[in-house]
Amino acid sequence: MLTCKEVLDSLSDYLDADMKEELISEVKRHIGSCSDCRAEFDTLTMTLKLYKHEHAEPTVMPVGCHDRLVKVLELEKLRSKGAPPPKMV
Amino acid sequence: MPAVTDEELVRKSKEDDERAFGELVSRYESKVYSLALRMVRNPEDAEDVLQDTFLRAYRGIKSFQGASTFSTWIYRITANSALMRLRKKQLPTVSIDNADERETPVNIADWSPTPDEQLLNQELQHEMEEAIRSLPAEFQQVFVLRDIEEMSNAEVAEILDLSVAAVKSRLHRARLKVRNRLAGYFSESAKPKRRAMGVH
Ligand SMILES: [Zn+2]
Repeated sequence: MLTCKEVLDSLSDYLDADMKEELISEVKRHIGSCSDCRAEFDTLTMTLKLYKHEHAEPTVMPVGCHDRLVKVLELEKLRSKGAPPPKMV
Repeated sequence: MPAVTDEELVRKSKEDDERAFGELVSRYESKVYSLALRMVRNPEDAEDVLQDTFLRAYRGIKSFQGASTFSTWIYRITANSALMRLRKKQLPTVSIDNADERETPVNIADWSPTPDEQLLNQELQHEMEEAIRSLPAEFQQVFVLRDIEEMSNAEVAEILDLSVAAVKSRLHRARLKVRNRLAGYFSESAKPKRRAMGVH
């Protein structure tokens, strides 16, 4: 039998299904009968759901970001080729 | 330039082919920006990290050995750059290394998730944001890479130059920290609703 501490320590692996099958079923059984560990599991699951939901939208680079990056790299090219550093505008 | 591999572009970049490096920039800039934004959590810093990352990549491409893929390499540079920035601005954090994370979930014992309702709660989202911000930078990184970018433990370990065990341990503690901060919200909307247990 797993102790509560063992279950809690393994919750992340359990969520990620990153453990041996037999251990998975032991954790599952424990959570089924222990309300404290079940609450731990539920809230952890919910936290990750919320977190993933909040960040589900792909991020978009701001306008001009690409051009500024290209400019920075061009300055670096000039610099590395020994040209005098151009005046900042 | 269809179907040219990253490896090929790297090889050409090492031979000072500027267009090849430009193509690598085009391929990875939004991914690097996205990763940076999720780590540093504001657009100005994310853009700084983006520029810093590609500057370092440009300077370092000749010494890139190809032991990892280009993507792992560029994400590693991104993560390091973001980490330095986070450390400069680090909020006071709760100790995560010494504290026992096993806070007894007394007040959440009867809680069960009601996703749609929870997802709409702006206050909760704000609290989540604060919880993540107050994690030590090293834990934020693991959290972002694993749970947002959904990379594997092995990939995260390679990018952050950590053991898989260290990644797992940091991830677990970061998740618990964030969860503990949200526990109050969960209990408030507690509903005695059981659901089937499953592995996600
Ligand atoms: Zn238990």
